[in-house]
Amino acid sequence: MIGFLAFSIRRAFQGLWRNRVMSLAAMVTMVLMLLMLAGLVIVLSGMEAGLSYVESKVEIRAELYDGADPSRVATLEAQVAALPEVASVTFISKDQALADLRAQEAAAGQPDLSTVVGSNPLPDQLAIKLKDPKDFGSVKATLLAPDGVVARIPDQATNVDQLISITALLRTVGLIIVVLVGMTVLLIVVNTIRMALMSRADEIEIMRLVGASDSFVRWPFIFEGLLVGLFGALLTLGLLSLASGPISQLANAIAGQVPVGFGQQLTSEIAAVVFGAGLGLGGIGAWISVRAYLRN
Amino acid sequence: MTGRLAAVTGRLAAATALAPRPGLDSSAAEWHDAEPDLTNPPSDAAPASSPRISIALHDVTKVYPNGRNALSDVDLTVPEGDFVFLVGPSGAGKSTLIKLLVRDELATHGEVYIAGFEVTSLRGRDIPRLRRQIGIVFQDFKLLPRKTVRENVAFALEVTGTPRKRIAATVERALALVGLTEQAAQRPSQLSGGEKQRTAIARAMVHDPRVIIADEPTGNLDPLISWEIIQLLLRINDMGTTVLMATHNAEVVTALRKRVVALEDGHVVRDEVGGYHRDY
Ligand SMILES: Nc1ncnc2c1ncn2[C@@H]1O[C@H](COP(=O)(O)OP(=O)(O)OP(=O)(O)O)[C@@H](O)[C@H]1O
Ligand SMILES: [Mg+2]
Repeated sequence: MIGFLAFSIRRAFQGLWRNRVMSLAAMVTMVLMLLMLAGLVIVLSGMEAGLSYVESKVEIRAELYDGADPSRVATLEAQVAALPEVASVTFISKDQALADLRAQEAAAGQPDLSTVVGSNPLPDQLAIKLKDPKDFGSVKATLLAPDGVVARIPDQATNVDQLISITALLRTVGLIIVVLVGMTVLLIVVNTIRMALMSRADEIEIMRLVGASDSFVRWPFIFEGLLVGLFGALLTLGLLSLASGPISQLANAIAGQVPVGFGQQLTSEIAAVVFGAGLGLGGIGAWISVRAYLRN
Repeated sequence: MTGRLAAVTGRLAAATALAPRPGLDSSAAEWHDAEPDLTNPPSDAAPASSPRISIALHDVTKVYPNGRNALSDVDLTVPEGDFVFLVGPSGAGKSTLIKLLVRDELATHGEVYIAGFEVTSLRGRDIPRLRRQIGIVFQDFKLLPRKTVRENVAFALEVTGTPRKRIAATVERALALVGLTEQAAQRPSQLSGGEKQRTAIARAMVHDPRVIIADEPTGNLDPLISWEIIQLLLRINDMGTTVLMATHNAEVVTALRKRVVALEDGHVVRDEVGGYHRDY
């Protein structure tokens, strides 16, 4: 077994070296693809982090009619709370709302404008937290259904919607591009290994002649594909670690106060994705090639 | 697994030392000096004299996909330890018969047995086991140009998963058997035709096969060198390995009183000891 591995890996390295121009081309395209993939992961995870930050801040405020029947308000509150897409419903009296506003403005260092107005201008409110901000529409319909309870629902969710659709678009477009580039890389790996197989046609013939088992014929080439993937992944991670400083600076500049996590977790996530994609494409490409070649 | 090869080389040394044959180069004697410990063959070195069957074809027909009928109703039995020449005009089906034996092609009808395997029903993954029991030699040597003689021979062991430490000794013995110890570090481009074929034979012997199958092994060699190769195959046969050899070499076939199977147009037309009879 150790002999088999040593044999296969030695021949895989030999093959890479003999076929170095093609191997290098395969690795370079592999690196380009993996960089794109890593970039997509970084941008998407940034968007997701931003999104969940914004989402956590978002709640629907339904402003009630002055003097709305408390029992009807209670009924509606229960009704909304029972909706599956709703996380929580809180009743906020107008006094509470005013107190909140004052606290907020004080915290922001702004002058207390509410004292200028004689009476409290704020209505009673229902504050609704959603499990998923996309379900805004259905909840709004429920809130507005009974007459004379909810006066108005200020439109707060528009920027959330935008963020959601941008993220979705980015994910879709990014994935399509990465898949297309990935297929190109796969074809290049297939072709690289095919050339390796052809350059060893005589050896393969002799191997079969003297009774080499299929695994001895097959695995050196699969290892060769895996090595292309491995070196591609290592090169990609090397480049990324060189660029990680500027990347996180840029991210911080764009994201501002949003706590985007460029920490340990994202790093190991990217490493896993890059290694997985590199080794996967290298191995699968080689496997396809070897199968096609040996079937004849 | 290297036991028989050791036995072969041991007996070979003894035989050569006692009665050197004309036409043999001196390498066997040199080898004798190099490995004196093998001149006393182990007690199990007696050649296989049992009447077991090494090769059997029964009602074998081979039709190629293009419709060419290369073999028709061939029956052939070769006992273990035999030396058989396979002769016949070009296109008679000699190479086809050999391809059926080594499972390079499948018979259309009939049964093919060799070295204890029923070849026609062999599963794909069992073919390597069959091939390790058969040493195969071709007219064009099939050596790897980048590898030395030693590496070419070792390759057959490497790719069949032989432990590294066993490889070196086995290779040296095989090289000694064919008299190429001195040329071990040369590449095929630095060898004569006869030396190339001896390298191929060393490679074929390295798994200690029960049968050697040779398809025109002297086809590319001049008469004197051809004799050398034939002598080598005869010596291997003397030690118990069955040899089946396709050839056009009338001089050799006539001179040696060995069994001759003649094919014509896919049929066995003659099977007797000695004689070539026609100009193929
Ligand atoms: N792969 C193939 N496909 C179709 N026909 C083939 C194939 N191989 C051989 N043949 C045909 O089968 C017949 C026997 O060929 P084979 O090679 O066995 O002859 P042979 O006796 O070895 O001849 P030679 O002495 O010239 O080597 C020939 O007519 C040949 O054209
Ligand atoms: Mg032929």
